Amino acid sequence: LTSFLEDGVCSYLKLPFGEQKKNVDESKPPLPFSASYFMFNKLSAWSRDRKVQSKLLTPADRSSRVLFQFISSYQPKYLLNPLCLFCDVLSRCFKTKEERVEIPVPESSTTVKITTYSISGTTFATRHFEIHKKDISFVPLAPHILSLTPDFSTSTLTLKWSDNGSAFPYGLDASWEIEVLRKETMEDVTRETYNSKLIHEDIIHSWNWKSDMPLECTSHYVKIRRYINITQFDGPKDWSDWSPVEVVPGKDTEPNGSGLFPQDTVVAVGSNVTFCCVHKEGQQIQRMSYGAKDYPLIRLSSRSSAIRVLNANASSASGTNIVCTMSEDWMDGAVLFVGYGPDVPKGLSCETSNFVIIKCTWKPGRATGLYKVRGTKYSLTESISGKNVSCEVNEMKKKHVCGFPVLADQKTYSFILGASNPIGQTEASLLVDLNQRVNPETPEKLTASGNSSTSVHLRWFINGSFAEIRLLCEIEISSGRSEQKVHNVSMPGGKFSNYTVQLNALHPYTKYQFRVRCSAADHFWRWSDWSGTLEYTTLEAPPTRGPDIWRERSPSGKSLRIFWKPLSLSEANGKIVSHEVSCYLLEESLEYKEVMEPSNSTEIKLGRNDCVISVVAKNHAGSSPPSRITSVELPSDNVKTDRAVAMGNGIYISWNSFPNMTCGYIVKWCHSSGSEPCSVDWQKFPSNTTDAVIKSALFRPGVRYNFSLYGCKSSGYQLLKNVTGYMKELPPKRAPNFTVEETSSDSILVKWEDMSIEDCQGFLEGYRLSFAKGEKDALKPRLLESGNPELKVKNITDLTKKSLKILDLQGKTSYQLDLQAYTAGGLSPPNSLYVVTKEDCKLNIPIN
Amino acid sequence: MAAADTPSAVLRHHDLCSRGIRLARKMRSDVTDLLDIYVERQGLDASISVAAVDGVPTAAVERWAEQTGTQRLLDNLAAYRAFHALLAQMLEEQRELLGDTDAELGPALAAMLLQVSAFIYHLEELLEMESRGSPAEEGSEPPAPPRLSLFEQKLRGLRVLRELAQWAVRSVRDLRQLAKHGPGTGTAPGLPESQ
Repeated sequence: LTSFLEDGVCSYLKLPFGEQKKNVDESKPPLPFSASYFMFNKLSAWSRDRKVQSKLLTPADRSSRVLFQFISSYQPKYLLNPLCLFCDVLSRCFKTKEERVEIPVPESSTTVKITTYSISGTTFATRHFEIHKKDISFVPLAPHILSLTPDFSTSTLTLKWSDNGSAFPYGLDASWEIEVLRKETMEDVTRETYNSKLIHEDIIHSWNWKSDMPLECTSHYVKIRRYINITQFDGPKDWSDWSPVEVVPGKDTEPNGSGLFPQDTVVAVGSNVTFCCVHKEGQQIQRMSYGAKDYPLIRLSSRSSAIRVLNANASSASGTNIVCTMSEDWMDGAVLFVGYGPDVPKGLSCETSNFVIIKCTWKPGRATGLYKVRGTKYSLTESISGKNVSCEVNEMKKKHVCGFPVLADQKTYSFILGASNPIGQTEASLLVDLNQRVNPETPEKLTASGNSSTSVHLRWFINGSFAEIRLLCEIEISSGRSEQKVHNVSMPGGKFSNYTVQLNALHPYTKYQFRVRCSAADHFWRWSDWSGTLEYTTLEAPPTRGPDIWRERSPSGKSLRIFWKPLSLSEANGKIVSHEVSCYLLEESLEYKEVMEPSNSTEIKLGRNDCVISVVAKNHAGSSPPSRITSVELPSDNVKTDRAVAMGNGIYISWNSFPNMTCGYIVKWCHSSGSEPCSVDWQKFPSNTTDAVIKSALFRPGVRYNFSLYGCKSSGYQLLKNVTGYMKELPPKRAPNFTVEETSSDSILVKWEDMSIEDCQGFLEGYRLSFAKGEKDALKPRLLESGNPELKVKNITDLTKKSLKILDLQGKTSYQLDLQAYTAGGLSPPNSLYVVTKEDCKLNIPIN
Repeated sequence: MAAADTPSAVLRHHDLCSRGIRLARKMRSDVTDLLDIYVERQGLDASISVAAVDGVPTAAVERWAEQTGTQRLLDNLAAYRAFHALLAQMLEEQRELLGDTDAELGPALAAMLLQVSAFIYHLEELLEMESRGSPAEEGSEPPAPPRLSLFEQKLRGLRVLRELAQWAVRSVRDLRQLAKHGPGTGTAPGLPESQ
């Protein structure tokens, strides 16, 4: 077969050899040659119009020609010109000296006659051939490579060629077979098919191929051929010849080329990677290692060898070293980074705190194992506006943040967060209505002002532009006096504005703690952080009531002491500075005093007179309503003293109902502590009360308290009864002192003293006298405590009795006597004596 | 009598030499630890042989025993100034390579850089004592070194640290020689120091 080129069109038609044979006249001796037919047509004359295409087959189209090629069985020396004369059916004859001739394309079938002449011009042989159109093959001319460009950094070859489509009708399918070869021996690496459509224009096609071996390692070759599915052609179609080979020479072809390839690259975990070591002539590679492991060498050429690492594991942050060790202490190396492509960003969320910047946050997902220049780069693209920003992230943080500017007149944002690293890229998307994603900046500069004791103006600033939305702000109000409250207020947003709100129904003279947080009012997304806490004390107001007061005449009856209790914080409404005490008799002021804090009593010289006492508490804001009490003490008869009942945490007192006590009862008592004069305390009860548990933080167990119950009448106060009691009775502190008055041979008379109230620590209920035989000896255990069966006990419950005679004792015998007092709280510690009874009426002397 | 010969100057010179020896010993100890960290973090074989690298001062010197005190100090100063620049470059490359992922190598390199700075200052003081000012550092920036591959950077770092360790040993010996012969002895000693 052959091909030829005319006007830049490379194609030919081939007639299968087998088909021609049957066209030969079998009755005649065989021709000394076989033949095949080729059609050459000037396809550039074709158009996309089918009617025009049909011209191809018309005999009038002189551009359509067939190349007839034959093979002569004669020796070449006989085939000198003119050798053959071709004559077609129209008796057009063509002379040729070669074994081929170009003739017009026949319309359908035609018969050609070939006559072979000798050098002298005599006819050698003549043969007739019938050519059928369907027997003519269409064989395009070999394509021509325009360029073969290597990209060493990615080990990629880029092949470019023209399809010469302008020479063919529009819409033909073209296939291109590309073969890549490698090494000096040109070993096949890959053969790929590339399909295209011819569009009646010359199109330059590009094909990329990524080599699994760095291009520096050895030379790479590329060739291409084509096949055009020319549907209008009846005969068979065939592939063209291969184009001439293009080469990308390896480093091993350069005189001084050397190195380890690839250098400083990044691949995905699990990749298969080929490394090669190119060295100078005369050097020998001793070994090649990847990490800590040596790999078997694959020889590529006399100056280049490779290793192949399969299923590479993730490298450390500093990469995995590949080392090529050569003779003469020479080495080359490279670093490979093995990691993962970026994970799809997780939990992408965007919000604004100020309508200036949109803050998007996400989690990066699985770590890539690649850092710094090889780390994941993020970019935030907004599809509606087409704007995009690159994000600076701290790759060591678990949550990444990126800011995007708020755009004027845009409320809906369609974000695409792109993540890319040298291995791959991913993205996550999010559509947000910004008005629904507002998390305002933290309120700041919180201040308070006011000129009222029950209200305050709060003012704060938010650093943001919220003019197009309403804000909902929550004010937390705390004070020591009441439970924490929250006050919500909705307000129009402002542009970098201050916001104010008035809070009412506050307590006077109360220290409040305020803090504020805000959110969008219409589409709640998130609260801002709380502002700092502001402390503010409301102004004072006059005390709400007068103090609780009591009065007592001095024993001489000439002066009156007035007592008052401090007001509670909620009643005082401020800091009480003084109390005004007045004494009126029928609207006439007999006495007036201002008693400064912290005194809680004062004395008025009244003589034998009586008056109505008024006490007013004063703070800086004003005076309380007056509290009044009369000094009149009504006479009492037959005042009894009762015992109160200890309640553990208080003292229970009860009394009979006194119907004429119209304005209630007062229980008064006195606390004494050490040498200080006792301080008066009291408690008021309404008229229908007949008992009470008196409680005081000052009450102590074992201390006797004396209470006086007064009844209140319009004319004055009357002492109804006295009550003594304990909040808790304790055992007596000690036993009474006792002595032996006399002894005989069978009896002992003991006598004891009274005990003080302080020592009793409760109501004394009796004494316990225990005795048994025993001698005073510190080394022996006390007999009375050791369960001595001879122990005898006398219980004395008659508290008036102060002596006891013990009878039926043995003479001249030592006895131990223990005396204890007891209350409801228990027994006191004992007092002990040792006595020896007399013998025959002789006097015994007590040992103790 | 020159200022350098006064008893106080002798004392100060001796003190400076003693402190310098301590600094160099500490540097030697720390650079050994740093080498271990460096080799481990960079995935290198500790026994790898690295050829001499341009710009890295070599501690080995011919006719060491014949050097004058001033010459020793000047050699040391030049070497440590070079190491200072090389360590700074290593630190920068380490940050580029590892970023914040390594909490050990970066701080250790920075600490070594500080020690070298301190030692340079110390050498300058000693040169002042020798009645000879320190030579000024190169005024203009040295030409940018050729861009090295990562593997070459790793090897150069290894070479820098190994040579620094050698220099620390040499500096101890140099300062011992200096201490032995006192200040202002610009001439070579007669005998080499017994090792």
